[in-house]
Amino acid sequence: MPLIHFQQLMKFSAINLSLLGLILITSPSFAQTSANNMNNRSLAATCANCHGTNGEVVPNSGMPDIGQLSKDEMLTKLMAYKSGAQPGTIMPQLAKGYTDEQLNTIASVLGKK
Amino acid sequence: MNRRHFLGQSLASAGLLAGCASSAPINISKAQVVVIGGGYGGATAAKYIRMFSNNTAQVTLIEPNADFISCPMSNLVIGGSRTMAEITSPYENLSKRHGVKLIKDMVESIDQKQKTVKLVSGSTIKYDKLVVSPGVNLMMDQIKGLAEANQAGVTIQAWKAGPETVALHQQLAAMRDGGVYAISIPEAPFRCPPGPYERACQVASYFKKNKPKSKVLIFDANADIVSKAGLFRKAWATLYPGMIEYHPKFNVVAVDAKTKTLKFEVQDDVKADVLNILPLMRAGDIAVKSGIANANGRWVQVNFLNFEATAAKDIHVLGDSIQVAPLMPKSGHMANSHAKVAAAAIVAELGGLEVNSAPVLTNTCYSFVDATQVVHVASVHQYNAEEKTFKTVPGSGGLSPEPTTLEGIYAWGWAKNIWADSLA
Repeated sequence: MPLIHFQQLMKFSAINLSLLGLILITSPSFAQTSANNMNNRSLAATCANCHGTNGEVVPNSGMPDIGQLSKDEMLTKLMAYKSGAQPGTIMPQLAKGYTDEQLNTIASVLGKK
Repeated sequence: MNRRHFLGQSLASAGLLAGCASSAPINISKAQVVVIGGGYGGATAAKYIRMFSNNTAQVTLIEPNADFISCPMSNLVIGGSRTMAEITSPYENLSKRHGVKLIKDMVESIDQKQKTVKLVSGSTIKYDKLVVSPGVNLMMDQIKGLAEANQAGVTIQAWKAGPETVALHQQLAAMRDGGVYAISIPEAPFRCPPGPYERACQVASYFKKNKPKSKVLIFDANADIVSKAGLFRKAWATLYPGMIEYHPKFNVVAVDAKTKTLKFEVQDDVKADVLNILPLMRAGDIAVKSGIANANGRWVQVNFLNFEATAAKDIHVLGDSIQVAPLMPKSGHMANSHAKVAAAAIVAELGGLEVNSAPVLTNTCYSFVDATQVVHVASVHQYNAEEKTFKTVPGSGGLSPEPTTLEGIYAWGWAKNIWADSLA
């Protein structure tokens, strides 16, 4: 099965799951977690070592507070690190290790809602 | 797989076809996850299993120490620029904020058939999934006389941060100006590849300020500096000219505690005032004792998709204890990364979801070359399905061009954030 079909199906099934979840369950529960959703959170958690769990940085720790960035701002910054347009110490080296799609996922999960 | 089949599986696995979330094939809220070891791997796994299961899976963390004392940054305590209090964090937030059950104890044995662990205190705990993250064991018996010398405090390892970290600083403080500090480094792999060389910097930094006639001798069993070689060599030459001597291919085979003498495989004996001897390392005791350390009897081979030991079902091993993938260091940051991949896989398996087929790990190791200036090494590791291992991404990762105080700020910021990410 081509990857794109698989992803569309994942999305479709995730929407269905969450709709059913809303109808059937009133409080958040594990049944509402799709594999896709957890994989995305797990990928975004690779940032947490330095920038805090769920992008919530330890106050006054000297680390950039990425939790203040919108999804678009974060993605623009990550892509600039990856391309070399944005200089830095560690981020240009780390950003080059992720695919564009992965950086998009990270920005979607951690960007300010 | 057609669409109907796929959706049917997804819905069934989430327990929704039956119209009731509690009738999922495996009821994750009844699942018992037991975590052995509250270091960077185990503590992070405990927290993230709770988070990824939306606080449904029951998680018990077994750890003998009252508080978490960080190995990263502990070289700064040895060098005198930071205190033990600054590298110590409590465990209580794991229970208060995340509902992890904490047990202050050690695991005596694992019964893989009954799926239970027996604690030293005598009680037995059942598990559906077991996470084993016991760090390293220092193989004291590999150097003649070392176990006794270390027991007597004549030699110090301070490779597990704690009382020996303080003791090493005290020995340096008590040493006469003009004395000799010697550190010996075992053959790789060992915990924290840049650690011994950073420690040499921290001891030299302390000497430069307080005892400038003193010497730092590094005896390395390896053919060259194992990590950040160029950066350390340059730092030693520029910051501590004439103070640090580096000796590659010096393999310590014996210690004479009475005369404070090191004996080598090939070279002549050397005496020193402060002896910091690091022997070969292997996976933590419980991993070796339970027969899952199937790589030379020293490290645990794992399936890198879920970190399950290849020798044992439902036992997931993290951090320094595993047989690493290429270019994967035994570091706290890496153990924290392992834990998140394993946590997602464990929750997926317990909840009947598909395990992520493309996990990602990162590593960042900061090293202080004096009290404020820092260099880093960083890498990104993507899972390679063909080779069933993690591989670093070509063109990514790398080193600092030179030590800076800006990276000194980031290094301490990294520490504060990874401590919170693992424990708070």
